[in-house]
Amino acid sequence: MKRASSGQWSVVRWAVPAFAIFLVAAMSMPLRAQGDAGQRVPDAAQFVGAPKGLPLAGDALNSQTTEVSSMLRCPVCQGLSVADSPSAMAVNMKEQVRELLARGYTKEQILSYFERSYGQFVLLKPKFQGVNALVWILPIAALILGAVIVVTKVKRLEQPAIADEGAKPADDGGDAKPQVKPDKSAPVAPPIAEVDDELMPYVLRVRELAYGWPGGIDPATKENR
Amino acid sequence: MNRTVLIIGIVITLAIVVVLFLGLGKDPQHINSPLIGHPAPPFTLKAVGTGEPVDLEKLRGRPVILNFWATWCVPCYEEHPVLVQNARMLGPQVQFVGVVFQDDESKIMQFLRERGSSYPTLMDDKGKTAIAYGVGGVPETFFLDAKGTIVAKFEGPISSGELQANLVKAMGR
Repeated sequence: MKRASSGQWSVVRWAVPAFAIFLVAAMSMPLRAQGDAGQRVPDAAQFVGAPKGLPLAGDALNSQTTEVSSMLRCPVCQGLSVADSPSAMAVNMKEQVRELLARGYTKEQILSYFERSYGQFVLLKPKFQGVNALVWILPIAALILGAVIVVTKVKRLEQPAIADEGAKPADDGGDAKPQVKPDKSAPVAPPIAEVDDELMPYVLRVRELAYGWPGGIDPATKENR
Repeated sequence: MNRTVLIIGIVITLAIVVVLFLGLGKDPQHINSPLIGHPAPPFTLKAVGTGEPVDLEKLRGRPVILNFWATWCVPCYEEHPVLVQNARMLGPQVQFVGVVFQDDESKIMQFLRERGSSYPTLMDDKGKTAIAYGVGGVPETFFLDAKGTIVAKFEGPISSGELQANLVKAMGR
């Protein structure tokens, strides 16, 4: 049986580790060969570095693919996410998301990779920065302003009622006369000079209830008509 | 208080109107490429027909016009003669490259046989190169300067005038 010479063994000793190193280097190259030999396509590793997470598989991979794809906007559709769109472009993007998750890329890294190519256009949820911040701020500001307006209006409507409460006589048996404090902001009673005699008792009663004037007579003017 | 609330209300309303005007006034498919001013993502793809690999990095030293298209894209039929004619006219000082995605090689071959070809057309099988370039639809044309930096992007079928205006940028003039 023919045996290898010592020179041949030394070649083998060098060749085996060299081949192993080449194999490892080829597998970890940032530009990964895709399918056919001689072809290489841009890869996430070039732009967002090495994976920062754990490689996913099975159900975890499926659910994460759906979650990340639903955060990406399909560039050829009208307001559809990559997860929801049946277009070929969205299918390719979803496939790439799946591949990156399987390689251990995190959600943030994948979103960053797509954002690098498409800008913030590709993110269905805009970031809180620049002009995009207005999209977040304006509705909240409008809501706060609306609340301020409503509160202001309600307070204004409540003012006469509060004034009535303040002018109401104390319930101490009926002997004590109501204390009426002159108030510049207190409502002014409309003139009653033209009121019919038949209606007068009712008008005076209403004035008494509404303004707290005893007998419906204005204590400032002592005028009942 | 009333006056303050009124002023704040007007400011918020105006801001909302401006945001809506800016948002609704533009083409929803338009993508402002963040790649402009940055190195073009490198790739090596096989040429349709010959199978020869074409490495983008090896094309440095002259401006490159990178056109993404497909045979199912109707505006690409309108654009193709413009690209072929300009590639012939400009000669080797400008490199034209076509990248086809989401398409069938036999259909591309037929298209090129019928309509002519004057530059390499490459296959982007799973659209990864298109995604790396942020392609939102076809046709889309990227203009690279001699150093491989993307200087301009054009969406839609390009005319000779638009092509040459963008080429001037790629030539650094």
